[in-house]
Amino acid sequence: MQVARFVVRRLALGLLALAGITFATFWLFESQDPTLAQVENHPSVLHAYWLWVKGLWGGPTFHLLTLPAPARLNTTLSTSVLSALGHTAVLLGYALLLVVVFSVAVAVIASRGRGTAVDITMRSASYVMWAAPAFLLAMLVQLFMFHVSGDRGIGPFPLAGWPGSCPGGLGIDSGVLAGCPSAGSGIRYGLNVMRYMTFPAVVLALGFIGLHGRYLRSALFETLDAPFITTARAKGVSERGIVFRHALRASLVTFVTVLLADFGAIFGAAMAVDWVYQLNGLGTVFISEFPTDFGSINTYSLELVILIMGACVILASVLSEIVAFWLDPRVRAEQ
Amino acid sequence: MSGGVEASARRVAVEEETVHARGYWRQSLHRLARQRVTLAALGVLLVLFVVGALAPQVAPHGWNWIDLSPHWRNHPPTFEGGHVLGTDNIGRDILTRTLWGLHYTEQTALIGALFATLLGVAVGAFAALLGGWPDATLMRIADLVAGFPAIILMIIAFEYFRPVSVWTATFVFALTLWTVVARITRARLAALAPEEFVQAARSLGATESRVFFKHLLPNAAGTIVVAATSVVGLILLVEATTEFFGYGIPSIERPTLGNLIGEPTSSGIGAYNIVGLGWWVWVAPAVLLVVLLCCVNLVGDGLDAALNPHTPRR
Repeated sequence: MQVARFVVRRLALGLLALAGITFATFWLFESQDPTLAQVENHPSVLHAYWLWVKGLWGGPTFHLLTLPAPARLNTTLSTSVLSALGHTAVLLGYALLLVVVFSVAVAVIASRGRGTAVDITMRSASYVMWAAPAFLLAMLVQLFMFHVSGDRGIGPFPLAGWPGSCPGGLGIDSGVLAGCPSAGSGIRYGLNVMRYMTFPAVVLALGFIGLHGRYLRSALFETLDAPFITTARAKGVSERGIVFRHALRASLVTFVTVLLADFGAIFGAAMAVDWVYQLNGLGTVFISEFPTDFGSINTYSLELVILIMGACVILASVLSEIVAFWLDPRVRAEQ
Repeated sequence: MSGGVEASARRVAVEEETVHARGYWRQSLHRLARQRVTLAALGVLLVLFVVGALAPQVAPHGWNWIDLSPHWRNHPPTFEGGHVLGTDNIGRDILTRTLWGLHYTEQTALIGALFATLLGVAVGAFAALLGGWPDATLMRIADLVAGFPAIILMIIAFEYFRPVSVWTATFVFALTLWTVVARITRARLAALAPEEFVQAARSLGATESRVFFKHLLPNAAGTIVVAATSVVGLILLVEATTEFFGYGIPSIERPTLGNLIGEPTSSGIGAYNIVGLGWWVWVAPAVLLVVLLCCVNLVGDGLDAALNPHTPRR
């Protein structure tokens, strides 16, 4: 019951925040929207915003403006935003999985000996990994792939793109990249997605493994010093059992909450990776909403992208608070 | 006159009697002095910041100087002819541009972090001291802004303020990233408020402002310094990423490490290199940025260990 009240309150705040963010951006860019400016008896900002909100329920309200841009929003854009959401979700899911698995591996290996050569090497590597910005890492890895085997990519892993799409833009004509094979369907499609997403996900995960692996390592060391571990040792639990059954379990609580609380940063980095690898995710769509020639913004479609991205981030933060609430009795006591 | 002599005599007597106790900052300095890696990182950071600050003096040319000779277009690094790190496609010296880039990046990062910290401490203190609904409102706003990907907020702001100057960027960073400092400051102050020494000061009749400036703020200072360091790192990272996307300060406005890496790479390296740009155009700023970020993170963690020895390590 307590959880339900907590969640409802957080979600209500989230909705309020979404309304605030979308209205603020709408108000900022409305004057640079050529289609809105052309409308006869130009609607007030509030009215135009309200039309957009009503249009979210698939309404024909956009046609009130009788202009091509909002109509475009209803058909092609909302589907492209939704598929972009899917692409970003796959990238984030894959990368988060890698972060969890490798952070645990790094922390467990390091926990065998504080200050040993292995520990120090891994710690130094993690600092460098975390210091390299995601876009730079993505660029370097892609450049490396290109130098090794040209535009075919390495082995089963292609250079860029989402299955079935022809990577283009960024100054390439798509002929540079070898063909555009079909995406396949069913299991084949799933495998293709795995193939195409492996390098982007690894690149995105690297930095966060560097950061969160280090956090987990310290949390693990701290837990290993706790009295209950000494008790377990005294009872004759094997060292493996100590680490996996006792210490790791206790440290994972902090790890998961911190990782989820860091979602904003991971999402931001995913935008850069998505852009470099041309995955047509939310990052690419968001960037394309801001054309370099100033004053040609489609406010309605821009708001849709901002709404979806904001919803993702807010849902993740609510989720992280719920997880903290569940896992940590101290947080529950505070409420 | 004689009163002064008496007082100093008394002070000498007190000093002889008391056990020599080191203060918080002395102890922290000692803890810091034991961390060799942090000291090394701090040294590298100081050298880079001094070089960056002196860029107008040490850079071989002005930030927008162009070598007009056609020979010096997109020329690889060479020791002959004065372009040690090579030139870009219109004949600008890479070493010069990198030094100036460091200069402006440093300016944004340090001044932005300074303003963000001042604003964050003010808001955090305000929230912690007032409590109630102002506290709840301010902190919900801060949570929201801090949890939102900074890159998205920056792209929106930079698109609106286009063309972005160094100062615009600095203020946009400060006006967004204060939230990071505010949340940490507020949490620390709220934790300190019920402590015995604060109650003791109050019961001895100290005014609210004295309690805040003499007792609460100095005890939160360690946490605030660490938060400010993390903001420096955040600005470096976010600035480079937004400029990679083509927003933020354009390199024709002023060079920064971000746009020196971003502009050549987003127009294509590797498979996408249709301009025929050499690697030397972006490698030097990229290495410098990674070194800066690495050192800032190391110094942040080291300062955290030195200044806040009792909070759990991450």
